[in-house]
Amino acid sequence: MIYFDNACTSFPKPPEVVDSMRDYYLRIGSSPGRSGHSLALKAGRLVFEARESLSQLFHVPRSERLVFTCNATDALNLAIMGLLREGDHVITPSMEHNSVMRPLNYLLKKGIIDLSIVPCSEEGHIDLDALKRSIKKNTRLIAVNHASNVVGTIAPVGKIGKISGEIPFLVDAAQSAGAVRIDVEAMGIDLLAFTGHKSLYGPQGTGGLFVREGIDLKPLRLGGTGSKSDSWDHPNFLPDKYECGTPNTPGIVGLGEGVRFVLSQGIDEIRQHEMRLTRSLLEGLGDIEKITVYGPKNPYEQTPTVSINVKGREASEVGYRLDRQFEIMTRVGLHCNPGTHRTIGTFPHGTVRLSMGFFNTQEEVGQVLEALRDIATAP
Amino acid sequence: MGMDGNPSKEKTEERCAAVLEAIHYVIKGEKILKRTGLRIGVIPVPREISSDCGMALEFSCKDRERVEQILADEDVTVIGIYALRKGQYSKL
Repeated sequence: MIYFDNACTSFPKPPEVVDSMRDYYLRIGSSPGRSGHSLALKAGRLVFEARESLSQLFHVPRSERLVFTCNATDALNLAIMGLLREGDHVITPSMEHNSVMRPLNYLLKKGIIDLSIVPCSEEGHIDLDALKRSIKKNTRLIAVNHASNVVGTIAPVGKIGKISGEIPFLVDAAQSAGAVRIDVEAMGIDLLAFTGHKSLYGPQGTGGLFVREGIDLKPLRLGGTGSKSDSWDHPNFLPDKYECGTPNTPGIVGLGEGVRFVLSQGIDEIRQHEMRLTRSLLEGLGDIEKITVYGPKNPYEQTPTVSINVKGREASEVGYRLDRQFEIMTRVGLHCNPGTHRTIGTFPHGTVRLSMGFFNTQEEVGQVLEALRDIATAP
Repeated sequence: MGMDGNPSKEKTEERCAAVLEAIHYVIKGEKILKRTGLRIGVIPVPREISSDCGMALEFSCKDRERVEQILADEDVTVIGIYALRKGQYSKL
């Protein structure tokens, strides 16, 4: 079995991630921040350490500014729905995921916001001049996908952070967190949404949002936090303001361990390994006549995610044969991102997405190329 | 009691409790205070202080000023400081 669907969910996970979750359930099992007993305190410490590890990875100066959510979509909803008010203008590139586009489109159709969509090249590069020109007096948010979930293109978030200036800058790091260096200070990121189950090697159902000091989001959920329990007023301090109800403690424990795995391997080493895999895959695909490759086709400009099509074959058929005949897991279709497929010219049929991760090897790349050659040349 | 200059060991070791906003700040406070060499404990918030279900930081009352200063430097809000006297906590 070869797993090339890491942009969806990374697999396998580092053994220590699974061990930490098992250990939590065998030895602690309790909820943090509620009861005052020693197991509750132990759970609280594990959640605290996960928050600190994430803050270290993203260079967040005060870890309470990083709140846990269910996933990146949940974090993006908190950022978008919590920030925007009637009359606000938003700028976003043409390649955003539905987790950004659906909340924005909802607000647009309700007549609450005005939206400018900035064009991108076929390779997925944002037209930065057009982005600059789109800024208006009432621009209240610039929302950018750090790395495309379809073609892997990495956005120049540092440059956009400079362009955005005082305008809140939201980065969707679902595909980049753990795979590409992120520094919220150096890059001028005001809101960073991430998921735990991709390149941070945590479990599904985890994620978070960094909220820069001075940015006030309306909380989308109110309720019990274990703090200020004598009052019916929801707390106004972080992280409790955006974290109510019992958290996903085993998930956060696993996520913390996944982040420490990334920190111990080193983000640059992970990136080097994934760039080598991407280079081999791109070179091999270039040698197969009937295959079209989308995106930058340059390991320096993308994550280890490559979209392709095989001439004369539907993406769904290629994906099916890769799975059934060769036991290679990929994802075909539109990848929750019609905007990108329109931009790269593959709407509505989509592509076959080959997405690698830290645990993939050069041997696997070779086997995938062989399988694709077989499918492409079959009568 | 204990602050009146009587040097008996028990009295110089008078214990104080700092109530913070949330468990995150209790664990954060414990970590940064321990780093400075202070002896810090984490205890359930005593019932006479609050009906809240949280935890509090516990330390020697003679370290009170340092504790407050270090927490303030890290932007940790202290809701209240209490001293344990005759088995009862009272607000300072």
